[in-house]
Amino acid sequence: MAKIVRNINGILMAVLFASVFLISAAQAKTQTFTVVWSIYAGWMPWDYAGHSKILDKWAQKYGIKIELKKMDYIPSVEAYVAKKADACVMTNMEALDMPAASGISTSAIIMGDFSNGNDALLTRNNIGIKDLKGKDISLVELSVSHYLLVRALEMNGLKENDVRIVNTSDADIAPAFIANKKQEAVVTWNPLVMEIMQQPGIKNVMNSSSIPGEILDVMAVRTEVLQKHPELGKALAGAWYEVMATMSKRGAEADKAMEIMAQAAGCSLTEYKAQLKTTAMYYKAKDAADFTGGSEIKEKMNYVRNFCFSHGLLGENARSVDEVGIQYPDGSVQGDKKNIQLIFDSRFMVMAAEGKLE
Amino acid sequence: MHSHILELNGVYQKYPAKKKKMRTILSDINLQVSPGELVTVVGPTGCGKSTLLRLILGSERPYQGSVKVNGAEVKEPARNRGIVFQQYSLFSNLTVRKNVMFGLELEYFSLPGRFFGFNKSKLKEFKEKADEYLQRVGLLEHSEKYPHELSGGMRQRAAIAQAMVMKPEILLMDEPHGALDMGTREEMQIFVLEQWKQENLTVIFVTHDLEEAVFLGSRIVVLSQFYAGNTSSGGAKIVKDVPVGWELPRPTSIKHSKKFSEIMQSIRHEGLDPHFLQEIRDFDLRHNDSLSLNTTENWD
Amino acid sequence: MISVFKINARPGRFACFVLPWVLFVVCFLLYTRASFVRHQENPRDKLVPTVTQLIDGVKRSAFEEDRKGDLRLWVDSWASTKRFFIALIIISLGILIGLNMGAFPYLELFFYRFFLFFDKVPALALLPILFITFGLGEVSKVALIVIGVMPTIVLDTFLRAKEFPRELNIKAMTLGASHFEILYRVILPNIFPKVLDTLRLNLKAVVLFLIAGESLAATAGLGYRIFVVRRYLAMDIIIPYVIWISLLAFSADFLLRYWIRHKYQWLNK
Repeated sequence: MAKIVRNINGILMAVLFASVFLISAAQAKTQTFTVVWSIYAGWMPWDYAGHSKILDKWAQKYGIKIELKKMDYIPSVEAYVAKKADACVMTNMEALDMPAASGISTSAIIMGDFSNGNDALLTRNNIGIKDLKGKDISLVELSVSHYLLVRALEMNGLKENDVRIVNTSDADIAPAFIANKKQEAVVTWNPLVMEIMQQPGIKNVMNSSSIPGEILDVMAVRTEVLQKHPELGKALAGAWYEVMATMSKRGAEADKAMEIMAQAAGCSLTEYKAQLKTTAMYYKAKDAADFTGGSEIKEKMNYVRNFCFSHGLLGENARSVDEVGIQYPDGSVQGDKKNIQLIFDSRFMVMAAEGKLE
Repeated sequence: MHSHILELNGVYQKYPAKKKKMRTILSDINLQVSPGELVTVVGPTGCGKSTLLRLILGSERPYQGSVKVNGAEVKEPARNRGIVFQQYSLFSNLTVRKNVMFGLELEYFSLPGRFFGFNKSKLKEFKEKADEYLQRVGLLEHSEKYPHELSGGMRQRAAIAQAMVMKPEILLMDEPHGALDMGTREEMQIFVLEQWKQENLTVIFVTHDLEEAVFLGSRIVVLSQFYAGNTSSGGAKIVKDVPVGWELPRPTSIKHSKKFSEIMQSIRHEGLDPHFLQEIRDFDLRHNDSLSLNTTENWD
Repeated sequence: MISVFKINARPGRFACFVLPWVLFVVCFLLYTRASFVRHQENPRDKLVPTVTQLIDGVKRSAFEEDRKGDLRLWVDSWASTKRFFIALIIISLGILIGLNMGAFPYLELFFYRFFLFFDKVPALALLPILFITFGLGEVSKVALIVIGVMPTIVLDTFLRAKEFPRELNIKAMTLGASHFEILYRVILPNIFPKVLDTLRLNLKAVVLFLIAGESLAATAGLGYRIFVVRRYLAMDIIIPYVIWISLLAFSADFLLRYWIRHKYQWLNK
């Protein structure tokens, strides 16, 4: 009996050593990349890509390993800027004012979606935008909510100084607004917008669908990493558009995938679908590539970079809005050509559209 | 009307002990004190001397019986009974002079009065009075010091001045010299005698030092739990109550006299020796004020 | 060198002057080194700004108007200081509660267990409830500090009042003090410096809760600014702010300590 036990032990040990050796040997060869993401309707497909092993499959195809890490939004971008992550999902605004303005050259390789109502200015007591003068407005300062408010005020002939902005953490903004009837206006994003809208007497006076294509959600990769390892871009694009294809089928298979995304986002499938309605997803690689390569995006980015500059987001001592250069797929550059820090790179989207990633 | 300034009648004191039982500390204490006496209370460890003092002070109420000062039942510590403890008699946040003035101020100024300004002349009067007492106890030059800057003997003198300035009817002293060294203790004994005579005070002085008790007292009360018929839970009784008539001024040399050692001997034997159990009827209660209610009780 | 690890060592004048500053200098050197390395690699690095950039950040914060036309360091400091002192005044009421609890057995029964429990509640976890109840204004921020720190002060005062020698209370009664006079003329003056000391040790908690409250909802304040400029990684603002907050808290601590030592000389027994 004892002999058998000893034998089994020996076999187990041998297997253990062998597997440890194999794993470490395999790890030594393949390059591992860290991709960080945070919860947002347009980014949930990344969780599904990891969950369904689609991402692993594509990584394997290009001989690399990709690790997905979920974080809170701002810390995720900070981790990316501190080079603790190689890629990160973020909006065009943060891509410009966090990494690009800090000299971490960043390539936006996948145009995922634009906010088409996900960000909204909500009021109670039937207040319109023009009535906001002199009022307190809760929002996360210097976020896309802030941007949306400034655009809304501009369109209605008001200035930012006409209102008082109360910086409020996104964790508290919805319950605090719902509970305090004295608070009359708030700018926030989904799913908080939906939550607040369920209350009686709330009006959605302006949302991001009025400024389509200005609040963009992209997959950002450090240019430095991408130059050395274009296979990372290929694997990410390949996995993303496979998930997009599944989602756009609109059948039981799509529902199954979206059910998983909804779960990860902490909502029901119906709620998640409702959020997707206000998110203009680029399901097709061609659409995404066309938008990224078009001329419209330059005009939209111009609004964003001007907002960033006037709010000190490009660095408080930045002398002009042109200090950070933005490069587009056609080779044109907005701002300083010698300091290109944000690159809209449509190569991988084009490859996906042309079926070259298969 | 009351020839006795202090009267204790049938006082029992019991404390809750384990298993819901009561532990008797004092049993049937009857004590009457005339004004101007210096009564020293002595007895073996754990006999309840301090308990007796706290009953008179009013910080404790008797389980049974009555404690009266000038005919009035004692309810809580009050202005007519001064106290000097072994420690913690002075307020450490006040200078010596302020400590002595404290009682006078309390009497005159209400709490709001403190915030709405003092009556300067009244304050000056208190200061003068405090200084008079400090002079008497020999601490005038230390009047600006805080208690922690004083020696043990000086602190006790300050505490006595603090109590005396209020002119209490009875001055209670609970082992006031317990923390002092031999030399200082003897100085303090002389000092207490001087003050007692000068102020014509009535003093109850509790001590565990037999020699001190015999030397100071005009009357010695011996409290003991060692007497015939007492089981473990009986509580202490007054087993000896005798007058001691030493002359004043009283040199410390009398401590070496034959009579002194005889008194000490008899108290040690009758009161402090756990092996000598006196019958209750044989208690030596010779003092005039003693109520000789030596009825034999049944102890079971 | 030999005498470093001797408990009876007597450091010389030079050591007394130099040693307390060594770690400050080491930190400073390590920082400038790290900053230098990062800036060689990426001249636009924002995470570890150079000393020149930090000084520039201080200048911009303290002496130049921002886009709202504020000298923001002073605006923020004033906003935070105001909250700090209002909270401190309310917390001081805790001293009176603790004093009464320690002196009156009925009040002890009434309050003690409640405060003991309340003291264990992590105040930060209550923030959502505070924001919902008191809104996003000043009340909720002050309430956070008060809830976070007051129970400690109440309990500390209570324990000190309770352990105050009974003999002295009795002594005061024999000197003619009423029960209220014992509280306010005997116990309180005696324990007050020690309670102040506890308050001093809790300044850190006060600052912590202040910053936490401001970071979640505010229009001005030191904590507010740190969390807002974090959006664009302005470490050249954040680092001077952190140092400034520490300096303010350190000064408050120092002044209180100085006050206690000089005002209550009798305490140094």
